Amino acid sequence: MPRAIPPIAFFACALALASPPRVDAQARDRGTIVLVVAQAPTAPIPTMMEGAASATDNADVADLLFLRLAELGPELTTSGDQGFVPVLARSWTRRDSLTLVFELDPRARWHDGAPVTARDVVFTFDRARNPAVAPKLAGLLRHVSSVTAEDDRHVVIRFDRWYAEQLYDAVFHVQPLPSHLLAGAAGSAALPADFVARPVGDGPYRWVRSEPGSFVELGADSGFFLGRPANRRVFIRVAGDPDARLNMLLSGEVDALRTVPAPLSDVQRLESALDLRLLTLPSPVMGYLLFNQRDRADRSKPHPILSDPAVRRALVLALDRWAVVRATFGPYAEVPYGPVSQALWIRRGSPRASGPDTAAARRLLLSRGWADHDGDGVLDRDGRPLALTLSYPLTSEPRKQMALLIQEQLRRVGIRIELVRLEGPVWSERRSRGDFDIDFSSLTQDPTPSGLTQGWSCRGGTNVAGYCDPVVDSLMERAIAARTGAEAERLWREVLRRIEEDAPAAFIYAPSYVFAVSRRLAHVTLRPESAWLRLWEWKVR
Amino acid sequence: MSRWLARRLGQAAATLALVTAILFFLMRLAPGDPLGRLQSDRPLTPEQVAVLRARYGLDQPLSRQFGAFAAGLLRGDLGTSIEYGRPVTRLIAERLPATLLLGGTVLLVNFTVGLWLGALQAVRRGSRLDRWLSGAALAGYATPSFWLGLVLAWLVGVRWRLLPAAGMQNPLLGPEAGLWARGADLLAHLALPALTLVVVSIAGTMRYQRRAMLEVLRLPYVWTARAKGLDEATVLRRHAWRNALFPVLTLFGLWLPILATGSVFVEAVFAWPGLGSLAAAAVGARDYPLLMGTAILVSALVILGALVTDVAYVLLDPRVRWA
Repeated sequence: MPRAIPPIAFFACALALASPPRVDAQARDRGTIVLVVAQAPTAPIPTMMEGAASATDNADVADLLFLRLAELGPELTTSGDQGFVPVLARSWTRRDSLTLVFELDPRARWHDGAPVTARDVVFTFDRARNPAVAPKLAGLLRHVSSVTAEDDRHVVIRFDRWYAEQLYDAVFHVQPLPSHLLAGAAGSAALPADFVARPVGDGPYRWVRSEPGSFVELGADSGFFLGRPANRRVFIRVAGDPDARLNMLLSGEVDALRTVPAPLSDVQRLESALDLRLLTLPSPVMGYLLFNQRDRADRSKPHPILSDPAVRRALVLALDRWAVVRATFGPYAEVPYGPVSQALWIRRGSPRASGPDTAAARRLLLSRGWADHDGDGVLDRDGRPLALTLSYPLTSEPRKQMALLIQEQLRRVGIRIELVRLEGPVWSERRSRGDFDIDFSSLTQDPTPSGLTQGWSCRGGTNVAGYCDPVVDSLMERAIAARTGAEAERLWREVLRRIEEDAPAAFIYAPSYVFAVSRRLAHVTLRPESAWLRLWEWKVR
Repeated sequence: MSRWLARRLGQAAATLALVTAILFFLMRLAPGDPLGRLQSDRPLTPEQVAVLRARYGLDQPLSRQFGAFAAGLLRGDLGTSIEYGRPVTRLIAERLPATLLLGGTVLLVNFTVGLWLGALQAVRRGSRLDRWLSGAALAGYATPSFWLGLVLAWLVGVRWRLLPAAGMQNPLLGPEAGLWARGADLLAHLALPALTLVVVSIAGTMRYQRRAMLEVLRLPYVWTARAKGLDEATVLRRHAWRNALFPVLTLFGLWLPILATGSVFVEAVFAWPGLGSLAAAAVGARDYPLLMGTAILVSALVILGALVTDVAYVLLDPRVRWA
């Protein structure tokens, strides 16, 4: 046996010597803000944020580094030419119904000192419109027919057709890149490795360093042409586990985090912390039970149960969606009217989603021949029980919790639901194939309602349930082509009403984001389309 | 010896090649699409999916995909991660130090404190200390690591604020901070995840060592040493303890892969930027290149662990011959 000092004593001494300087250091540094996010910003670079890199945390960091030509106004309206706030473009004019001309702000500079020019805008649009480089962006910009530079400061964007969201498409999807640093990369999906490792932008913050998997440091650009940032530097720490993020905030190691308020116990922990305040913000997230209208075994045939609109309506009526949402999210979510998240402007003025009416649900089902003929508690017709599967990914705790409540609510009207929890990739694969009865889906919506065409039009690229209503298609086309914002709003509202009537899905939840922010921060402004967009205005008390 | 070693290395390389091929096809046969997860949040149209599928080579026949992977592997190129869009070798290289630090610390504490406590238990067998240590070690062994991690993070990190609740370093220290300050910061961040893993794993080492020591203490040469008049400490340290180390070597071989993979749960709970959480994310996303990279690394370490154990036995125990 060794007679030396027991090793345990050595490790105890080592631990004692390791002083934890984190809280003191943070308190001393009054110009520093520390955020924590779920996913590491791997490539916060415009035109590279496709696929996995399209994660919200990546896009949020890109918004701190790179400017748009203009931002959405406080109303988040994407239709028409009103309400946008100039950023990189000082102004814009309409030459005709198909042509927009932008004048760049001459004060705008890249972080290496070079001026931002019209060539940068053209270069980036060329990349963005190339499906081989950025397939999703290219799809979003499909109506942009050309982008040209008239001189160093003027950019002309032409469209192949008139529609109300031309300005939105021109300013929102693409943040210009510095063409002088990326020569030769126009047609390549990859950008030079040194630029990816250390992006050069024109936003209020410049890239300082990154510790893989740990944090990213951004430094304020003191020469930022829209005003000197109110803080000196920002650290974006990464913690994939929600408990780890919560602990970092509650221990004072970080100043702010964003969360979806489920489980509720997490929000309650934050509510009880005296040095934090909670802010809510409309989130672009929306969850719904998607009813498959095609036979899962043979897509050419209608679904034996769910192709009947009366059954789908009965399912919606049988659900107490408000009770489900309150139990899961507390006051931090609402039941959407139609497939719209809280962040979509067309939800303004929509009626409140209906409550449950189990008697009406039973009547509807009975009218279609569904009754409990054999007395086993499950409705049946021609010997076939009204039994359906409900699939959802096992990684989603809120959906798991809600699925149990939904199963119980539908059981009370005689509908048997079998819950199918699937690993994420398996769930996605089956969903894409249409191999489900009811799918508990969740999606993150872009600010524009035109995205609804993907999931809810007959030929929509992501319409996996086979929903098709030509009237809805026609209404959406007219809404997209509307001449005025008011006309678009009216038509979109009609789209929602019609979709609610068709009941292709039961729209369950549209949560708010809950932000927990340290009380040492002042002038905190959050934006629904990009939470940290106004971070440069935050002050440390 | 060199012939024996060359033969063992050859066997190890063949095993690794076989395991790699099996892993490649098993992963592709498992249900789930690597591009599926990309659509779970912001759905993509079939055309956009087709472009991404071609970009990652997923539109090729399986045999061609394997050929490309094997050719890349021979060049030391494990491909590009679908999830991160970066070379897998670079991702692994970035995360490996954190995992080695955590795993190495746990291994070090396990095989110093664990051996010492196990030997102490054997020497004082049947005493109150022996019973107490056995009970404590088994309680630790029975505790789920993620639960213990959550409790420690909350109690020590949040409630008492004695140590950092998560992360590997305080970003505010910056690169200009002195070596001492950075070392102390690293040690402070390391303390809770390492403690969690040590508590749940040290029991194995202690039990192995205790039993081995008890067996050795009964052997005649230990009595002979005592009869020669050697003091008890020398008998225990030189004659008993050294010989009781052999069985623990097997345990060391088994532990070696854990050095690289760490603990997925503990890394998650403490936001430790290691390989375990990277591998777990790769599984969840069906990120084939990254999955293959981490799986090959773990397989190599399992094979290496067995090889190291064999070599150590032969070197340390004269009764075992090169054969």
